Amino acid sequence: MMHEQQQTQTQYEPKIVAFLCKWCSSAGSDLAGVSRIQYPAHATPITVMCSGSVSPQYILSAFNKGADGVLVSGCHIGDCHYMEGNYLARRKLYLINEMLQFIGVEPTRFRMSWVSAAEGAKFANIVKDFVEDLRPLGPQDKLKAQHP
Amino acid sequence: MINPQDLCTRARDLLASGEVRAVVGYRRGSRGMAAEPVVITKPEEAASLVWDPSCVHNLALYLVADRKRLAHLHQTPGKPIAIVAKGCDARALVVLMQENYFKREEVYILGVSCESTGVWDDQKLMQRLGCDSQSLTGGRFDGDDFVVTTATGEQRISAPECMADRCLECRHPFPTMNNVVLGEEKARTLAAPFAALSRFEEATGTQPARWAFWQRQFERCIRCFACRSVCPMCYCEECIVDSITFTVALDTTAAEKANRVRWIQRSATRSENIGYHMTRALHLAGRCIDCGECERVCPVHIPLRLLNNKLEKESREKFGYEPGVSIEIASLVSSFRDDDPNDFIR
Repeated sequence: MMHEQQQTQTQYEPKIVAFLCKWCSSAGSDLAGVSRIQYPAHATPITVMCSGSVSPQYILSAFNKGADGVLVSGCHIGDCHYMEGNYLARRKLYLINEMLQFIGVEPTRFRMSWVSAAEGAKFANIVKDFVEDLRPLGPQDKLKAQHP
Repeated sequence: MINPQDLCTRARDLLASGEVRAVVGYRRGSRGMAAEPVVITKPEEAASLVWDPSCVHNLALYLVADRKRLAHLHQTPGKPIAIVAKGCDARALVVLMQENYFKREEVYILGVSCESTGVWDDQKLMQRLGCDSQSLTGGRFDGDDFVVTTATGEQRISAPECMADRCLECRHPFPTMNNVVLGEEKARTLAAPFAALSRFEEATGTQPARWAFWQRQFERCIRCFACRSVCPMCYCEECIVDSITFTVALDTTAAEKANRVRWIQRSATRSENIGYHMTRALHLAGRCIDCGECERVCPVHIPLRLLNNKLEKESREKFGYEPGVSIEIASLVSSFRDDDPNDFIR
Protein backbone atom coordinates (compact mmCIF):
# COMPACT_ATOMS: atom_id res chain seq x y z
CA MET A 1 0.00 0.00 0.00
CA MET A 2 2.76 2.38 1.05
CA HIS A 3 4.74 1.47 -2.04
CA GLU A 4 1.79 2.08 -4.33
CA GLN A 5 1.18 5.53 -2.89
CA GLN A 6 4.78 6.55 -3.45
CA GLN A 7 4.52 5.45 -7.06
CA THR A 8 1.46 7.53 -7.72
CA GLN A 9 3.09 10.54 -6.08
CA THR A 10 6.14 10.40 -8.31
CA GLN A 11 4.13 9.88 -11.50
CA TYR A 12 4.23 12.96 -13.67
CA GLU A 13 0.88 14.67 -14.12
CA PRO A 14 0.68 17.04 -17.09
CA LYS A 15 -1.07 20.39 -16.77
CA ILE A 16 -3.39 21.36 -19.61
CA VAL A 17 -4.87 24.78 -20.24
CA ALA A 18 -8.11 24.46 -22.21
CA PHE A 19 -9.64 27.47 -23.95
CA LEU A 20 -13.28 26.54 -24.47
CA CYS A 21 -15.82 28.61 -26.34
CA LYS A 22 -18.80 29.60 -24.25
CA TRP A 23 -21.48 28.32 -26.62
CA CYS A 24 -20.31 24.84 -27.59
CA SER A 25 -17.20 23.39 -25.98
CA SER A 26 -17.79 24.88 -22.56
CA ALA A 27 -21.32 23.50 -22.60
CA GLY A 28 -19.89 20.22 -23.90
CA SER A 29 -17.51 19.98 -20.94
CA ASP A 30 -20.43 20.78 -18.66
CA LEU A 31 -22.39 17.93 -20.21
CA ALA A 32 -19.46 15.58 -19.60
CA GLY A 33 -19.65 16.64 -15.95
CA VAL A 34 -23.39 16.32 -15.42
CA SER A 35 -23.40 13.00 -17.29
CA ARG A 36 -20.80 11.82 -14.73
CA ILE A 37 -18.35 10.73 -17.40
CA GLN A 38 -15.01 9.97 -15.78
CA TYR A 39 -12.09 11.80 -17.35
CA PRO A 40 -8.73 13.11 -16.07
CA ALA A 41 -8.83 16.31 -14.04
CA HIS A 42 -5.69 17.71 -15.64
CA ALA A 43 -7.34 20.34 -17.81
CA THR A 44 -7.92 23.83 -16.46
CA PRO A 45 -10.84 25.21 -18.45
CA ILE A 46 -10.87 28.87 -19.42
CA THR A 47 -14.13 29.92 -21.01
CA VAL A 48 -13.81 32.43 -23.83
CA MET A 49 -16.64 33.97 -25.81
CA CYS A 50 -15.51 32.40 -29.08
CA SER A 51 -12.62 30.29 -30.31
CA GLY A 52 -12.01 33.14 -32.75
CA SER A 53 -11.16 35.36 -29.80
CA VAL A 54 -8.24 33.13 -28.81
CA SER A 55 -5.15 35.09 -29.69
CA PRO A 56 -1.95 33.16 -30.38
CA GLN A 57 -0.67 35.25 -27.46
CA TYR A 58 -2.89 33.28 -25.07
CA ILE A 59 -1.28 30.06 -26.21
CA LEU A 60 2.26 31.37 -25.94
CA SER A 61 1.44 32.85 -22.57
CA ALA A 62 0.00 29.56 -21.28
CA PHE A 63 3.18 27.75 -22.29
CA ASN A 64 5.22 30.56 -20.74
CA LYS A 65 3.40 30.11 -17.42
CA GLY A 66 4.23 26.42 -17.43
CA ALA A 67 1.39 24.62 -19.22
CA ASP A 68 2.42 21.23 -20.58
CA GLY A 69 -0.30 21.27 -23.21
CA VAL A 70 -2.78 23.77 -24.60
CA LEU A 71 -6.18 22.83 -25.96
CA VAL A 72 -8.40 25.18 -27.94
CA SER A 73 -11.91 23.99 -28.57
CA GLY A 74 -14.80 25.63 -30.38
CA CYS A 75 -18.02 24.98 -32.23
CA HIS A 76 -18.03 22.80 -35.33
CA ILE A 77 -17.45 24.61 -38.60
CA GLY A 78 -20.72 26.24 -39.65
CA ASP A 79 -22.11 26.25 -36.10
CA CYS A 80 -20.33 29.33 -34.75
CA HIS A 81 -22.65 31.62 -32.82
CA TYR A 82 -20.84 34.56 -34.34
CA MET A 83 -21.17 33.05 -37.83
CA GLU A 84 -17.48 32.99 -38.76
CA GLY A 85 -15.45 33.06 -35.53
CA ASN A 86 -14.25 29.48 -35.77
CA TYR A 87 -13.23 29.91 -39.41
CA LEU A 88 -10.95 32.76 -38.32
CA ALA A 89 -9.71 30.71 -35.36
CA ARG A 90 -8.85 27.82 -37.65
CA ARG A 91 -6.64 30.01 -39.83
CA LYS A 92 -4.89 31.79 -36.96
CA LEU A 93 -4.31 28.68 -34.91
CA TYR A 94 -3.10 26.72 -37.91
CA LEU A 95 -0.31 29.30 -38.18
CA ILE A 96 0.68 29.16 -34.50
CA ASN A 97 0.61 25.37 -34.64
CA GLU A 98 2.98 25.39 -37.60
CA MET A 99 5.18 27.96 -35.91
CA LEU A 100 5.48 25.97 -32.67
CA GLN A 101 6.52 22.90 -34.62
CA PHE A 102 8.93 24.97 -36.71
CA ILE A 103 10.95 26.02 -33.68
CA GLY A 104 10.97 22.47 -32.37
CA VAL A 105 8.16 22.28 -29.82
CA GLU A 106 6.67 18.77 -29.77
CA PRO A 107 3.61 18.64 -32.08
CA THR A 108 1.55 16.95 -29.34
CA ARG A 109 1.67 19.96 -27.03
CA PHE A 110 -0.89 22.02 -28.90
CA ARG A 111 -4.23 20.61 -29.83
CA MET A 112 -7.43 21.95 -31.31
CA SER A 113 -10.86 20.37 -31.44
CA TRP A 114 -14.45 21.05 -32.39
CA VAL A 115 -16.82 19.98 -29.62
CA SER A 116 -20.51 20.81 -29.72
CA ALA A 117 -22.72 21.27 -26.65
CA ALA A 118 -24.08 17.73 -27.16
CA GLU A 119 -20.66 16.05 -27.33
CA GLY A 120 -19.82 15.55 -23.67
CA ALA A 121 -18.36 12.10 -24.36
CA LYS A 122 -16.18 13.49 -27.16
CA PHE A 123 -14.80 16.17 -24.86
CA ALA A 124 -13.97 13.59 -22.19
CA ASN A 125 -12.17 11.48 -24.79
CA ILE A 126 -10.20 14.42 -26.12
CA VAL A 127 -8.89 15.30 -22.66
CA LYS A 128 -8.18 11.63 -21.90
CA ASP A 129 -6.18 11.22 -25.14
CA PHE A 130 -4.37 14.50 -24.61
CA VAL A 131 -3.21 13.53 -21.12
CA GLU A 132 -2.04 10.14 -22.35
CA ASP A 133 -0.12 11.72 -25.22
CA LEU A 134 1.49 14.32 -22.97
CA ARG A 135 2.61 11.96 -20.24
CA PRO A 136 5.55 10.38 -22.13
CA LEU A 137 6.84 13.83 -23.12
CA GLY A 138 7.45 14.95 -19.55
CA PRO A 139 7.30 18.55 -18.32
CA GLN A 140 7.36 21.32 -20.89
CA ASP A 141 10.44 23.46 -20.27
CA LYS A 142 11.07 24.91 -23.71
CA LEU A 143 8.75 27.89 -23.50
CA LYS A 144 8.36 27.99 -19.73
CA ALA A 145 9.63 31.17 -18.09
CA GLN A 146 13.04 30.66 -16.52
CA HIS A 147 12.89 33.68 -14.22
CA PRO A 148 11.35 33.28 -10.75
CA MET B 1 19.67 49.79 -66.89
CA ILE B 2 18.83 52.75 -64.71
CA ASN B 3 20.83 55.91 -65.06
CA PRO B 4 21.03 57.34 -61.49
CA GLN B 5 20.96 60.79 -63.08
CA ASP B 6 17.34 60.16 -64.19
CA LEU B 7 16.37 59.62 -60.57
CA CYS B 8 17.91 62.97 -59.55
CA THR B 9 16.13 64.75 -62.41
CA ARG B 10 12.77 63.23 -61.52
CA ALA B 11 13.19 64.13 -57.85
CA ARG B 12 14.28 67.68 -58.69
CA ASP B 13 11.29 68.22 -60.99
CA LEU B 14 8.84 66.83 -58.42
CA LEU B 15 10.15 69.18 -55.72
CA ALA B 16 10.47 72.18 -58.05
CA SER B 17 6.88 71.83 -59.29
CA GLY B 18 5.64 71.54 -55.71
CA GLU B 19 3.90 68.27 -56.49
CA VAL B 20 5.44 66.62 -53.42
CA ARG B 21 6.60 68.02 -50.08
CA ALA B 22 9.62 65.76 -49.74
CA VAL B 23 11.50 62.94 -51.44
CA VAL B 24 12.75 59.95 -49.47
CA GLY B 25 15.72 58.36 -51.18
CA TYR B 26 19.32 57.29 -50.79
CA ARG B 27 22.50 59.33 -50.67
CA ARG B 28 26.17 58.47 -50.22
CA GLY B 29 26.86 57.71 -46.55
CA SER B 30 30.01 58.13 -44.49
CA ARG B 31 31.04 54.46 -44.38
CA GLY B 32 32.89 53.72 -47.60
CA MET B 33 30.47 53.97 -50.50
CA ALA B 34 27.48 52.50 -48.65
CA ALA B 35 24.26 54.44 -49.23
CA GLU B 36 22.16 55.87 -46.42
CA PRO B 37 18.54 57.00 -46.36
CA VAL B 38 17.88 60.70 -46.83
CA VAL B 39 14.83 62.98 -46.89
CA ILE B 40 15.20 65.98 -49.19
CA THR B 41 12.84 68.93 -49.41
CA LYS B 42 14.68 71.35 -51.76
CA PRO B 43 15.13 70.83 -55.52
CA GLU B 44 18.87 71.64 -55.33
CA GLU B 45 19.41 68.74 -52.91
CA ALA B 46 18.18 66.27 -55.52
CA ALA B 47 21.68 65.96 -57.00
CA SER B 48 22.80 64.06 -53.90
CA LEU B 49 20.45 61.12 -54.59
CA VAL B 50 22.06 57.85 -55.60
CA TRP B 51 20.92 54.47 -56.86
CA ASP B 52 23.41 51.60 -56.61
CA PRO B 53 23.61 48.04 -55.19
CA SER B 54 24.20 49.37 -51.66
CA CYS B 55 20.67 50.85 -51.46
CA VAL B 56 19.53 48.04 -49.17
CA HIS B 57 17.17 49.91 -46.84
CA ASN B 58 13.40 49.68 -46.96
CA LEU B 59 12.36 53.33 -47.09
CA ALA B 60 8.67 52.65 -46.40
CA LEU B 61 9.73 52.93 -42.76
CA TYR B 62 10.21 56.69 -43.13
CA LEU B 63 6.67 57.21 -44.42
CA VAL B 64 5.41 55.45 -41.30
CA ALA B 65 7.64 57.69 -39.18
CA ASP B 66 6.26 60.77 -40.95
CA ARG B 67 2.68 59.64 -40.36
CA LYS B 68 3.40 59.13 -36.65
CA ARG B 69 5.05 62.54 -36.38
CA LEU B 70 2.07 64.25 -38.02
CA ALA B 71 -0.35 62.42 -35.75
CA HIS B 72 1.50 63.66 -32.68
CA LEU B 73 1.45 67.22 -34.03
CA HIS B 74 -2.27 66.90 -34.96
CA GLN B 75 -1.47 67.93 -38.52
CA THR B 76 -2.96 66.71 -41.78
CA PRO B 77 -0.57 65.26 -44.38
CA GLY B 78 -1.16 67.82 -47.17
CA LYS B 79 0.91 67.14 -50.26
CA PRO B 80 2.22 63.63 -50.89
CA ILE B 81 5.73 62.43 -50.16
CA ALA B 82 7.73 60.82 -52.96
CA ILE B 83 9.58 57.66 -52.12
CA VAL B 84 12.23 55.72 -54.02
CA ALA B 85 10.91 52.17 -53.93
CA LYS B 86 12.34 48.86 -55.07
CA GLY B 87 10.03 45.93 -55.73
CA CYS B 88 10.02 44.88 -52.07
CA ASP B 89 9.56 48.45 -50.77
CA ALA B 90 6.59 48.92 -53.09
CA ARG B 91 5.02 45.74 -51.73
CA ALA B 92 5.47 47.11 -48.21
CA LEU B 93 3.61 50.26 -49.30
CA VAL B 94 0.79 48.10 -50.72
CA VAL B 95 0.40 46.33 -47.37
CA LEU B 96 0.39 49.63 -45.46
CA MET B 97 -2.30 50.99 -47.80
CA GLN B 98 -4.26 47.75 -47.56
CA GLU B 99 -4.30 48.39 -43.80
CA ASN B 100 -5.35 52.01 -44.38
CA TYR B 101 -2.20 53.32 -42.75
CA PHE B 102 -2.13 55.92 -45.50
CA LYS B 103 -4.00 56.49 -48.74
CA ARG B 104 -2.69 55.88 -52.22
CA GLU B 105 -2.78 59.56 -53.18
CA GLU B 106 -0.64 60.49 -50.16
CA VAL B 107 2.37 58.71 -51.60
CA TYR B 108 4.19 59.32 -54.86
CA ILE B 109 6.03 56.14 -55.73
CA LEU B 110 9.28 56.66 -57.63
CA GLY B 111 9.76 53.03 -58.57
CA VAL B 112 13.14 51.57 -59.35
CA SER B 113 13.34 48.12 -60.92
CA CYS B 114 16.07 45.79 -59.73
CA GLU B 115 15.94 44.30 -63.26
CA SER B 116 18.11 41.18 -63.41
CA THR B 117 19.95 41.79 -60.12
CA GLY B 118 19.20 43.17 -56.65
CA VAL B 119 21.06 44.75 -53.77
CA TRP B 120 24.17 43.18 -52.33
CA ASP B 121 24.76 41.57 -49.00
CA ASP B 122 27.55 43.45 -47.24
CA GLN B 123 29.06 40.37 -45.65
CA LYS B 124 29.01 38.28 -48.81
CA LEU B 125 30.63 41.13 -50.73
CA MET B 126 33.38 41.70 -48.18
CA GLN B 127 34.14 38.02 -48.11
CA ARG B 128 34.33 37.93 -51.89
CA LEU B 129 36.58 41.00 -52.09
CA GLY B 130 38.62 40.21 -49.01
CA CYS B 131 38.51 43.77 -47.71
CA ASP B 132 36.37 45.82 -45.33
CA SER B 133 33.50 48.07 -46.38
CA GLN B 134 35.51 51.23 -45.62
CA SER B 135 37.90 50.59 -48.49
CA LEU B 136 35.10 50.23 -51.02
CA THR B 137 35.02 53.50 -52.96
CA GLY B 138 32.51 52.78 -55.69
CA GLY B 139 29.88 50.35 -56.89
CA ARG B 140 27.26 50.27 -59.60
CA PHE B 141 24.91 48.00 -61.51
CA ASP B 142 26.04 46.78 -64.90
CA GLY B 143 23.68 44.31 -66.53
CA ASP B 144 23.90 41.06 -64.61
CA ASP B 145 27.03 42.18 -62.77
CA PHE B 146 28.15 44.57 -60.05
CA VAL B 147 31.16 46.75 -60.79
CA VAL B 148 33.01 47.73 -57.61
CA THR B 149 35.97 50.04 -57.08
CA THR B 150 38.52 49.33 -54.37
CA ALA B 151 42.06 50.49 -53.69
CA THR B 152 43.31 47.94 -56.23
CA GLY B 153 41.08 49.24 -58.99
CA GLU B 154 37.80 48.31 -60.67
CA GLN B 155 36.48 44.80 -60.41
CA ARG B 156 33.53 43.07 -62.07
CA ILE B 157 31.60 40.55 -59.96
CA SER B 158 28.76 38.34 -61.10
CA ALA B 159 25.80 39.69 -59.09
CA PRO B 160 24.34 36.38 -57.77
CA GLU B 161 27.68 35.71 -56.04
CA CYS B 162 27.19 38.44 -53.47
CA MET B 163 23.51 39.37 -53.69
CA ALA B 164 21.39 39.26 -50.54
CA ASP B 165 19.51 35.96 -50.10
CA ARG B 166 16.15 37.70 -50.20
CA CYS B 167 17.03 39.28 -53.55
CA LEU B 168 18.08 35.94 -54.99
CA GLU B 169 14.73 34.47 -53.91
CA CYS B 170 12.70 37.55 -54.91
CA ARG B 171 9.66 36.92 -57.08
CA HIS B 172 8.84 40.52 -57.94
CA PRO B 173 11.93 42.68 -58.38
CA PHE B 174 9.70 45.24 -60.11
CA PRO B 175 7.50 47.77 -58.24
CA THR B 176 4.09 46.99 -59.75
CA MET B 177 2.40 49.85 -57.92
CA ASN B 178 4.10 53.07 -58.97
CA ASN B 179 3.58 56.61 -60.21
CA VAL B 180 6.67 56.46 -62.35
CA VAL B 181 9.17 53.66 -62.74
CA LEU B 182 12.80 53.61 -63.84
CA GLY B 183 14.25 50.50 -65.41
CA GLU B 184 12.51 47.59 -67.05
CA GLU B 185 10.58 44.62 -65.79
CA LYS B 186 12.70 41.54 -66.42
CA ALA B 187 11.77 37.91 -65.87
CA ARG B 188 14.47 36.04 -63.97
CA THR B 189 15.10 33.04 -61.75
CA LEU B 190 18.20 33.23 -59.61
CA ALA B 191 17.22 30.94 -56.74
CA ALA B 192 14.01 29.07 -55.99
CA PRO B 193 11.59 31.02 -53.75
CA PHE B 194 12.10 30.09 -50.07
CA ALA B 195 15.45 28.46 -50.96
CA ALA B 196 17.04 29.39 -47.62
CA LEU B 197 13.98 28.08 -45.75
CA SER B 198 14.01 24.79 -47.67
CA ARG B 199 17.73 24.37 -47.00
CA PHE B 200 17.09 24.90 -43.29
CA GLU B 201 14.11 22.54 -43.18
CA GLU B 202 16.10 19.83 -44.90
CA ALA B 203 19.14 20.26 -42.67
CA THR B 204 17.08 20.12 -39.48
CA GLY B 205 14.38 17.63 -40.34
CA THR B 206 13.58 16.33 -36.88
CA GLN B 207 11.95 18.11 -33.98
CA PRO B 208 14.96 17.81 -31.57
CA ALA B 209 17.30 19.19 -34.26
CA ARG B 210 14.97 22.14 -34.83
CA TRP B 211 14.86 22.88 -31.15
CA ALA B 212 18.64 22.57 -30.78
CA PHE B 213 19.03 25.16 -33.54
CA TRP B 214 16.43 27.67 -32.35
CA GLN B 215 17.35 27.35 -28.71
CA ARG B 216 20.85 28.52 -29.60
CA GLN B 217 19.48 31.39 -31.68
CA PHE B 218 16.98 32.64 -29.13
CA GLU B 219 19.45 32.46 -26.27
CA ARG B 220 21.66 34.91 -28.13
CA CYS B 221 19.00 37.59 -28.60
CA ILE B 222 19.89 40.69 -26.57
CA ARG B 223 16.48 42.31 -27.06
CA CYS B 224 17.85 45.47 -28.69
CA PHE B 225 14.62 45.60 -30.75
CA ALA B 226 16.52 46.58 -33.89
CA CYS B 227 14.28 44.17 -35.85
CA ARG B 228 11.22 45.98 -34.56
CA SER B 229 12.62 49.44 -35.19
CA VAL B 230 13.59 48.74 -38.78
CA CYS B 231 10.34 47.02 -39.75
CA PRO B 232 7.80 49.19 -41.61
CA MET B 233 5.02 46.83 -40.48
CA CYS B 234 5.88 47.15 -36.78
CA TYR B 235 4.08 50.44 -36.45
CA CYS B 236 2.03 49.79 -33.30
CA GLU B 237 2.06 52.76 -30.96
CA GLU B 238 2.31 50.35 -28.07
CA CYS B 239 4.25 47.12 -28.44
CA ILE B 240 3.29 44.04 -26.48
CA VAL B 241 6.78 43.87 -24.99
CA ASP B 242 6.95 47.37 -23.61
CA SER B 243 3.77 49.00 -22.55
CA ILE B 244 3.79 52.78 -22.65
CA THR B 245 0.17 53.48 -21.83
CA PHE B 246 0.33 52.35 -18.22
CA THR B 247 0.37 55.69 -16.44
CA VAL B 248 1.98 55.84 -13.05
CA ALA B 249 0.35 58.64 -11.08
CA LEU B 250 0.64 59.74 -7.46
CA ASP B 251 -2.21 57.47 -6.40
CA THR B 252 -0.98 54.37 -8.30
CA THR B 253 -0.50 51.71 -5.69
CA ALA B 254 2.38 49.26 -5.58
CA ALA B 255 -0.12 46.46 -6.12
CA GLU B 256 -1.40 48.09 -9.31
CA LYS B 257 2.13 48.45 -10.61
CA ALA B 258 2.96 44.87 -9.74
CA ASN B 259 -0.24 43.41 -11.17
CA ARG B 260 -0.29 45.17 -14.52
CA VAL B 261 -0.55 42.77 -17.41
CA ARG B 262 2.80 41.82 -18.89
CA TRP B 263 2.47 39.28 -21.65
CA ILE B 264 6.20 39.09 -22.16
CA GLN B 265 8.88 40.17 -19.71
CA ARG B 266 11.62 42.49 -20.94
CA SER B 267 14.45 40.35 -19.59
CA ALA B 268 16.54 38.79 -22.35
CA THR B 269 16.05 35.18 -21.30
CA ARG B 270 15.31 32.37 -23.71
CA SER B 271 11.63 31.94 -22.85
CA GLU B 272 10.87 35.66 -23.13
CA ASN B 273 12.88 35.98 -26.34
CA ILE B 274 10.89 33.16 -27.87
CA GLY B 275 7.69 34.90 -26.76
CA TYR B 276 8.82 38.10 -28.43
CA HIS B 277 10.02 36.57 -31.69
CA MET B 278 7.04 34.22 -32.05
CA THR B 279 4.62 37.08 -31.42
CA ARG B 280 6.42 39.27 -33.93
CA ALA B 281 6.39 36.51 -36.55
CA LEU B 282 2.66 35.93 -36.05
CA HIS B 283 1.86 39.65 -36.15
CA LEU B 284 3.69 39.76 -39.47
CA ALA B 285 1.85 36.75 -40.91
CA GLY B 286 0.41 37.79 -44.26
CA ARG B 287 2.02 41.24 -43.89
CA CYS B 288 5.73 40.55 -44.12
CA ILE B 289 6.88 41.23 -47.68
CA ASP B 290 10.32 39.74 -47.13
CA CYS B 291 12.47 42.86 -47.36
CA GLY B 292 14.89 41.04 -45.04
CA GLU B 293 15.70 44.18 -43.04
CA CYS B 294 15.19 42.48 -39.64
CA GLU B 295 17.79 39.88 -40.43
CA ARG B 296 20.20 42.45 -41.87
CA VAL B 297 20.17 44.69 -38.80
CA CYS B 298 20.33 41.90 -36.21
CA PRO B 299 23.58 42.46 -34.27
CA VAL B 300 23.77 38.81 -33.19
CA HIS B 301 22.78 37.39 -36.59
CA ILE B 302 19.60 35.52 -35.71
CA PRO B 303 18.14 34.21 -39.00
CA LEU B 304 14.83 36.04 -38.54
CA ARG B 305 13.87 35.68 -42.19
CA LEU B 306 13.32 31.95 -41.61
CA LEU B 307 10.49 32.66 -39.15
CA ASN B 308 8.76 35.12 -41.45
CA ASN B 309 9.36 33.01 -44.54
CA LYS B 310 7.86 29.97 -42.84
CA LEU B 311 4.55 31.76 -42.29
CA GLU B 312 4.69 33.33 -45.74
CA LYS B 313 5.14 29.89 -47.27
CA GLU B 314 2.34 28.34 -45.21
CA SER B 315 -0.09 31.11 -46.08
CA ARG B 316 0.81 30.88 -49.75
CA GLU B 317 0.46 27.10 -49.92
CA LYS B 318 -2.47 26.55 -47.59
CA PHE B 319 -4.48 29.75 -47.93
CA GLY B 320 -3.41 30.96 -51.38
CA TYR B 321 -2.48 34.30 -49.87
CA GLU B 322 0.33 36.49 -51.09
CA PRO B 323 1.15 39.72 -49.23
CA GLY B 324 1.68 43.03 -51.00
CA VAL B 325 -0.22 42.22 -54.18
CA SER B 326 -3.36 44.32 -53.96
CA ILE B 327 -4.78 47.10 -51.80
CA GLU B 328 -8.33 45.80 -52.19
CA ILE B 329 -8.10 42.24 -50.83
CA ALA B 330 -8.85 41.35 -47.20
CA SER B 331 -5.86 40.59 -44.98
CA LEU B 332 -4.77 37.02 -44.25
CA VAL B 333 -6.17 36.66 -40.74
CA SER B 334 -9.37 38.61 -41.37
CA SER B 335 -10.48 36.31 -44.17
CA PHE B 336 -11.05 32.58 -44.56
CA ARG B 337 -12.03 29.94 -47.06
CA ASP B 338 -14.23 26.90 -46.60
CA ASP B 339 -11.39 24.60 -47.61
CA ASP B 340 -8.81 25.92 -45.15
CA PRO B 341 -6.83 23.05 -43.58
CA ASN B 342 -8.95 21.22 -41.02
CA ASP B 343 -7.12 17.93 -40.57
CA PHE B 344 -5.07 19.17 -37.59
CA ILE B 345 -8.29 19.63 -35.61
CA ARG B 346 -9.95 16.73 -33.82
